Amino acid sequence: METSRDDFVIAIRSAFLKKGNQQRFSLLGLIFFSIIFMVLGSFNFKAVNYLKVAINEIVYRSSFIVSGPENFVKKNYSIITGHLNLYEDNKKNKFQLELLRTKDLSKKILILENTKYKKLIDDYYIQDNETYAKVLIDKQSPFLRSIIINKGSKNNIRLGMIVTDEGYLVGKIVEVNFFTSRVLLLSDINSKIPVSIQPGDIQAIMSGKGKKSGILQYIKSPRKIENEEESIVLTSGAGGVFKSGIPVGKIIKENQISEEYRIVDLYKDFSQLQYVKVVSFLKETESLDRSSKKDSKALTKQIAEENQKEETLRILLEQKKIAEEVRITIEEEINVLRNNNIKLQNQLLAANQTIEDNKIQKEDLKFIEMNILYGRKCKKTFYNNLYKTGTLEYKNCVMNKGLKTLNE
Amino acid sequence: MSNINNKNIIAKIYKNLPIVLLFISVLNETDFNNLGLKYFSFNFSYILIFYFSVRKDNSLGYGLVFIAGLFNDVVTGLPIGISSLVYLFLCGAAAYLRNITLRPSMMKDWFFFLATVLLVKSMFFLILTFIFAYEINFFDEIGNIVFTFLLYFVFTYLFDFLEKFLLGSYYVR
Repeated sequence: METSRDDFVIAIRSAFLKKGNQQRFSLLGLIFFSIIFMVLGSFNFKAVNYLKVAINEIVYRSSFIVSGPENFVKKNYSIITGHLNLYEDNKKNKFQLELLRTKDLSKKILILENTKYKKLIDDYYIQDNETYAKVLIDKQSPFLRSIIINKGSKNNIRLGMIVTDEGYLVGKIVEVNFFTSRVLLLSDINSKIPVSIQPGDIQAIMSGKGKKSGILQYIKSPRKIENEEESIVLTSGAGGVFKSGIPVGKIIKENQISEEYRIVDLYKDFSQLQYVKVVSFLKETESLDRSSKKDSKALTKQIAEENQKEETLRILLEQKKIAEEVRITIEEEINVLRNNNIKLQNQLLAANQTIEDNKIQKEDLKFIEMNILYGRKCKKTFYNNLYKTGTLEYKNCVMNKGLKTLNE
Repeated sequence: MSNINNKNIIAKIYKNLPIVLLFISVLNETDFNNLGLKYFSFNFSYILIFYFSVRKDNSLGYGLVFIAGLFNDVVTGLPIGISSLVYLFLCGAAAYLRNITLRPSMMKDWFFFLATVLLVKSMFFLILTFIFAYEINFFDEIGNIVFTFLLYFVFTYLFDFLEKFLLGSYYVR
């Protein structure tokens, strides 16, 4: 028993304390270093933070280079898939474009109205800083879903700034280095965002779950959502972390598993991010008090103008619709008339033919009558030199009431 | 003569291969630890470090493993030092196994790897949960441990085959 314990101690000591032939550091020393790093890091010790920033700058660039071949393959695969789906995508896009064009003007009016009311309640934020950044690394860890972008404190990036892509919320800045920053994605389990569910303006907190979805927690009145087939999730602006009204995702009724937690399908696929927009918002200092009534008037005027434009457009569209209907009716009538005309022409031709036939029959009848009366005066016999029956001369002779008359 | 030189070059490349693979796996965007598949993921770095620490003594310098751990923490956004600690514990466990083993056996290595992974992962989760207040999905992590354990067997054969292919059976233990 004693010997076995001794062996264990010797083996452990040899493994952790003894340096190998080519090892410059003992294992125990390095473990000790790791623990020091971890402890000092958790207390935000300045020297460790500087070291961390230095390592970050080196590692992010190195990782970008190392991931180069893989990204090249991924990019080309995406291009090829895009080309293969070009026809279908184009069809879909055309349809969407038509749909969006009609919605665009109404949206403009709503924005203006919304701005006016937000100013009234002193909750209007204006964009303060806007920077576009390239995604350097999107290595996802099971413990932290984040991306690294190529803009840092040098480009006025600050902690807590909002990151969007095509207007949809992607996440927020959680770490800023000199040249780079880390963005915590919405899909991260530790990301908690105050959201509002529309319609109904139901307040909740959204946490990340999986690759392209989130989960709603602490829903104020979950019953209200049950009635809706599809609800939209927007940032609520509660707590002042995010500006209100940034689209996040949607809740589809058929995708729900449990009543307690709602699954949110995020609008953005975070694995496809290439460029993102980093923005910060400021509360507008001028609220709509007496001194800024002028602004209010200008806004009201603008809204009226837009309303007028929309009305004109609506009338024009109505006129176009009526004109289109008239054109179709006229075309149909033209077709009917054309058919009638063809029918009448055919009838006319048939009538002409009948007249012609009658004329021939009449002539034949007259010839038969004349033939009975004058046939013998024109018929060739052995004692006269007149015309042979059936010839044109004979017929003329008969019609002219015999040779005599013809000679006259 | 030239054949011997070629063999030496290949042997040198093979000697540095584990550390190159470790740094690529740490810095590359595709992480086997998070493939986006439900329940399927494995930790390639653990397999690599344990295999080469058990089988090829001194092929992975502790200093470089420590740096790789720091890089991994930076890339994945974990508290700095935690991956280094885990990697070094893996190296320590492998060194201990090497010291107590007289007749190496694949099965013994495999089950010792399971025990080591369970130990270091427990330590890892404890630190993340209690010190840094991280939320962890334990179902996914159990899947990760199981597949890391199962795939160690596959990778052992793969690395053995690679060694035989590159260096010939003479060099293989």
